[in-house]
Amino acid sequence: MSGLSLGKKIVLFGILVVVMMTGLHYSAGSIEKFTPLTSSIRDFLSPVQRGIMIVGREVSDFVATPARLIGLSKRYRQLDEKNSQLESQLLQFKEISEENIRLKKMLDFSTGMAPQLDTEAAAVIGRDHGNWFGSITINKGENQGVKSDMTVITPAGLVGRVTRVSNHTSEVLLITDPRSGVGSMVQETRSPGIVEGVTGGQGSLIMVHIPADLTPGKGNRVITAGLGSVFPKGIPIGTVREVRKEEAGLFKMAEVEPYVDFNRLEEVLVVTSFQLETP
Amino acid sequence: MRTLYFLALVLGFILLQSTALNFIAINGIKPDLVLVLVILNGFLRGTREGAFLGFVSGVMQDLVSGGYFGMYALINMTAGYLGGLGEGRLYRDNRFIAAGLAWICTLGAQLVFYLLLVVVDVRVYVLTALTGIIIPVSFYNALVVLLLYGLYYRSHRQGLLSDEQY
Repeated sequence: MSGLSLGKKIVLFGILVVVMMTGLHYSAGSIEKFTPLTSSIRDFLSPVQRGIMIVGREVSDFVATPARLIGLSKRYRQLDEKNSQLESQLLQFKEISEENIRLKKMLDFSTGMAPQLDTEAAAVIGRDHGNWFGSITINKGENQGVKSDMTVITPAGLVGRVTRVSNHTSEVLLITDPRSGVGSMVQETRSPGIVEGVTGGQGSLIMVHIPADLTPGKGNRVITAGLGSVFPKGIPIGTVREVRKEEAGLFKMAEVEPYVDFNRLEEVLVVTSFQLETP
Repeated sequence: MRTLYFLALVLGFILLQSTALNFIAINGIKPDLVLVLVILNGFLRGTREGAFLGFVSGVMQDLVSGGYFGMYALINMTAGYLGGLGEGRLYRDNRFIAAGLAWICTLGAQLVFYLLLVVVDVRVYVLTALTGIIIPVSFYNALVVLLLYGLYYRSHRQGLLSDEQY
């Protein structure tokens, strides 16, 4: 290599870049599945990743404990107050829920907002090693019945969808990833739109293509729309933080604060099957 | 042998980045240790080895991530080459100079990453990319170099990454 002239070095470098760009171009089209080599590497590394995650979490908790203790008393009082409020709200919601069931039966009407979900719990054993994309690796794969395009949730709300599976692990594309798009709607105004990720690391979302005549308000709830989508209908995504015009001017867009804390995901639920509520 | 140690370190850092480093992420941003390693290797070994080991480490990252093949290879090769431009020109005993170089090289490599995202049709707003990722990662990497450069430099001179390791 050291004996090569500058011209040959430039030609070699050019060939290398062209080969890599070609690889990039073709792999961009087949991003939905692992190659057998990558699949084996990921299965091989998954126990190590799981171990490092557990140790990392313990160390992180240990280091953060003194800082947490300082605000503990104040936090306890706040939580106590909040608990009382929530208990009272819960009673109201139970009442509303029962009334809702009665009315639904009377109307013989299915809203499709409460799908029956079969789920498989999984632990998060790794995340994307860069800062641009938002994906997590979970410890359940093809052998446990996980398949591509399955929805992934937590009790708080939507996390993402399974994009690729190996025998013992799966990769989940988070809804914060810039490659993600979720058909959704605003619960209060019924405005449709698409929730897109901004960057992988940041836990923020934007909802685009909202019809201007159905502008949502601040604090409105955004849920999955279900129509023609891999996601079941009615899964909470987040709340509207700010609404503005899109650059084109025909539609509105909204910044959405997700319910799920994507930087603290430890366990998730993979929706293995779902069915809409039938009357 | 030195190259094998280097690549083992790359693999270890890839694992750390996908696991434990998430616990020290600030606003969702974590340092890119593999990139730091590649830049420092270029700085101490020159453009040719910097670019070559950058390329190999990038291929390893591409294989483990299973994403767009060639993306990390091109980024790390760029970073290793840029780091190598500092070799022989900058004073290598000073950690602040190394940190400054890491800042600039990370900035350059991340900008190339952004351009490659455009190639594969992934849309990220320019301002968001700059303020949310490119600049924060550059500072975080510079901070890591500031803290760990002494250790790396010692290893380069007389440790596992020195020329005595065949």
